[in-house]
Amino acid sequence: MPKAVEGDYDIEAVRAEWIGKKTPRSHGRYPVEYDPIRRHCHMVEDENPLFLDPSFAKQTSHGGVISPPVLAGYFAGDGAWPPTGGPTQGQRRAGEEIEPEGSIIGDVPTRGERLINMNVAWEYFAPVRIGDELSSETVLTDIFEKSIRLDPKAVWIVTERRIYNQRDELVATNTNTLLTHRRPDVVAAEAEGN
Amino acid sequence: MTTQTNQRTWEDVNEGDEIDGFVLELTDTKMVEQVSGSQDFYPVHHDTGFAREAGHDEIFYNTGFTQAALSRLLTDWVGTDGWVKKMSFQMRKMNIPNDQVHAKGVVTGKSEGDGGMGEVTLDIWLENDRVGITTPAEATVLLPHRD
Repeated sequence: MPKAVEGDYDIEAVRAEWIGKKTPRSHGRYPVEYDPIRRHCHMVEDENPLFLDPSFAKQTSHGGVISPPVLAGYFAGDGAWPPTGGPTQGQRRAGEEIEPEGSIIGDVPTRGERLINMNVAWEYFAPVRIGDELSSETVLTDIFEKSIRLDPKAVWIVTERRIYNQRDELVATNTNTLLTHRRPDVVAAEAEGN
Repeated sequence: MTTQTNQRTWEDVNEGDEIDGFVLELTDTKMVEQVSGSQDFYPVHHDTGFAREAGHDEIFYNTGFTQAALSRLLTDWVGTDGWVKKMSFQMRKMNIPNDQVHAKGVVTGKSEGDGGMGEVTLDIWLENDRVGITTPAEATVLLPHRD
C-alpha cells in the first residue's frame, strides 16, 4: 500500500525522484490456469466457450482456451491485490519479492493511504493461453496533485506496464491512473491546523 | 461441447450500430463474486465501514469487475475469430450495491485495418439506473472479413 507521509509533503521532490522509475521484470505467481478464468467469467456472467470450454476452444482458430484479455495483468502478477507476499512465492524467480505494480505503488510517497483507481487503457498484441508464463515490468510515468471531493490534495499516480509471455513476446500493455487520498478526518484536521 | 455461434464479420457492421449488451444485478452475491473473480481484496470494495471511513457513502465495485464487464461486451460481440485490440475506460461514477448495471455500446467507425482483419471502433460504457453512465470507454476491435 502507499507510503503516506506525515507532515510536509513536497510533490515536486517526489516527481523528480519517481517519474521514470522502472521495476525490474517480475514473473507472475503461477502459469495461466483455467480456474481463475472461470472465476473471472462467473463474476460478470460471461459464458463464452472460448474461455470456458476446452473442447470447444480446441476446434477454434486459437486451438485451445485463451484468457479473457483483461486477465493478462492478473496472470502477470502476485495473484491478489493488495499484494500478499508471504511465504508462497509460486514460480517467482530468486530475488523477485513483489509484483511490479506493488513495488511502485507500495513505495512511492503519497499524502494519503486510501486508493481509488480511475483510468485504465489496454492494448493487446497476442493471445494469452493456458500454460503461458507471463512477466511484466512497470514504469511510473507521472505523479501529480489534483483535487477531488474527498481531498483537495489528492495525489495521482500514472503507471505503464508491459506484459510478456515466456517467449518474451509482448502480449499486452496497460496504462493505469490511480489516485491516493487522505481520510476526511485527516483532511479536516489539517484544515483546522492540527 | 458448446457449439460454434455465428461469427460477426467486418462487412456485417455499420457505423451507428448499437450493442444492447447485458445487465448485471449488483446483489450481495454479486459483491462476493466481484472479490472472487477479481482477487481484489482492497476493503473499499467489500467493507462498508472501511468505505465510509474513507468518505464514501457505500462500497463500490472494483476495477477488475468493471473491466471484466466491458471486456465481456467486446468479446461477446467480436466472436471467436475477432480480436480486442484496444480498450480504455474512465471510472467517473460508482456502481454500488443494489444497482442494476447495463453494459452497452455503439459503433463509431470502421476501416480496412491491416493483417487481413477489418478494424472497428466503438464507444462502450457501463450505466446504472441511479446515476446514468458510470464508465465511459472506447475500444478498437478487429473482425474477420466475409469469405
